[in-house]
Amino acid sequence: MEKKSLKGYLYLLPALIIILVFTIYPLIKAVLMSFYEGYSIINGSFDAIGLGNYKELFSDKVFRKALTNTSIYVVFVVPCSILLSLLIAVLLNSKIRCKGMFQTLFFLPYVTSVIAIGIVWSWIFNSNYGLLNYVLSWFGIEAVPWLNSPDYALMALIIFSIWKSMAFDILIFLAGLQTISPDLYNAARVDATPKWRVFLKITVPGISPMIAYAFIMGMINAFKVYNEVFSLFKSSAGPANSAITVVYYIYDKFYNSADYGVASAAAVVLFVIILALTMIQRAVSDKKTA
Amino acid sequence: MEIRIENLTKAYGDFRAVDGMNLTICDGELVGLLGPSGCGKSTTLFMLAGLTEPTDGKIFFGDKDVTKIPPEEREIGLVFQNYALYPHMTVEENIMFPLINRKVNKKEAKERAYEMAKLVHLEGLMDRKPKALSGGQQQRVAIARALVKKPKVLLLDEPLSNLDAKLRIETREEIRRIQQEVGITTIFVTHDQEEAMSISDKIAVMDKGVVQQYEVPQSMYLEPENLFVAQFLGMPEINTFSAVVKDGAIYCGQVKLREISGLSDGTYTAGIRPESFEVREDGFAVEAAHVRMTGRDLLIYFTLDKEPLRVLAHSDLQIEKGGAFKLGVRQNQIMLFDADGSMIGKY
Repeated sequence: MEKKSLKGYLYLLPALIIILVFTIYPLIKAVLMSFYEGYSIINGSFDAIGLGNYKELFSDKVFRKALTNTSIYVVFVVPCSILLSLLIAVLLNSKIRCKGMFQTLFFLPYVTSVIAIGIVWSWIFNSNYGLLNYVLSWFGIEAVPWLNSPDYALMALIIFSIWKSMAFDILIFLAGLQTISPDLYNAARVDATPKWRVFLKITVPGISPMIAYAFIMGMINAFKVYNEVFSLFKSSAGPANSAITVVYYIYDKFYNSADYGVASAAAVVLFVIILALTMIQRAVSDKKTA
Repeated sequence: MEIRIENLTKAYGDFRAVDGMNLTICDGELVGLLGPSGCGKSTTLFMLAGLTEPTDGKIFFGDKDVTKIPPEEREIGLVFQNYALYPHMTVEENIMFPLINRKVNKKEAKERAYEMAKLVHLEGLMDRKPKALSGGQQQRVAIARALVKKPKVLLLDEPLSNLDAKLRIETREEIRRIQQEVGITTIFVTHDQEEAMSISDKIAVMDKGVVQQYEVPQSMYLEPENLFVAQFLGMPEINTFSAVVKDGAIYCGQVKLREISGLSDGTYTAGIRPESFEVREDGFAVEAAHVRMTGRDLLIYFTLDKEPLRVLAHSDLQIEKGGAFKLGVRQNQIMLFDADGSMIGKY
């Protein structure tokens, strides 16, 4: 018995070592670093332990901007992506031609590099030659400086991200739709159920676990948004930092300003926000299913 | 409502699931569609429901041709094999659902739902979700939901197959009672002959998409029109063997079974039900190869001139493996079928 369990732990060891070294240790270290004042990354010395980094962080306008931007981003991207994905998943699940082709098409963004997509979208958003402004011009809307104006940068980022995160949502909604028994739809037909009621009373409840999952994952990912910003604005945070996000801020503080303490404090704040929201979300969905 | 099925056909490519079916079901009757899996019985039911579109043929409800009418306008109640209860609604909401969809006001819908619940004995369970109900209770919710909109026809797909043995007998009596109380024309699909025979007014036995026989249960059992029906009905299955008719007698190998007249000499397929033998002093001598005690009966395996046969005898018969006994066939209990499998007569 003893021997057996020892063997089991040995099998776990490689993965455990990697997790300990690259996840658990940095996590603890980041929390510690956020409290070190005057920290030197070269010799690991620090002057004092205190809340100095947090004070500096919250008095930084750029961080507050990053926090606001990220919140706006989450509030728009997550629900919009879920709603649109739901609609598309239901359409893809119905009897249409070239179903397989459309499914592949909608899943492509998920398996394509964000940087590559970012380049395409920065062309779409181009104020002079961009596809989006061209389409808008049909409706008599004047050219919008999507990527060059602080007023539109965040909106451009949100549009880009909604499109990008839909791929994953559509995939899990499609998987969820397959689990709903076709007999339920037949029963609803015999019961003369209007289409929208079928959607609300059968489809949505049927995939509610997937919706909850998409919501949590979407929110966590949305709070961590960085790649999208980096690729869309060509390694900047948009004109005048107008599309800066919390992770972008952390990255900038750490690598560009070498302000390790503040970067760590920002990381801890982000961690706490995500943790809290996930816990609330779980409590709500547990209550619903109970 | 009388139901008339005319030349109904459903083809999937070259395969004909239902092939030129004709059937008339009288108003208020309970009819069982019985057959092995793949015989087309469920396809027929779903065509009656309007969920499957026939390739050819017509369906009439009363005088009305409903072939092209969608399910929601056919005035049918349909109970699915897995019940298809809406899992996120309570029993009450499930039963009310068809009414709410038809814009019946909430108060009336609730009253009618409770009326139905009373009919199927579901009072007290109205706040439960389907998951919290037993199989039999779910079944009754499904029936209540099907009947609440006062349909003209009730259709049930394998209504008992998801229930355990004891519940099955209880539930089939329930279905019969509810059907009689409501007086609704009802068609149900089953592969279980006992189920079909015990509650149906009439049974339609199907095979390969064709109705083999449409009869009241007892006549169907006693007077099967063909070999398929004879073999499909009866547990244990009917004994069949090739019999020779010559010089005015039926032979199994060299053993003379019956003296007859009026049948031309030749080879026929004979069918004798296991319970049609009787232990008789002046019968032919056989030896018991196996004896199976089933409780009420003894099932004895024996060979009659190399033909393996079975006899169902009363359990008080004292016989063991290898024991010798004498058998005869009761009058009028030897069925003869021609080469096509059609019944010629009973001897």
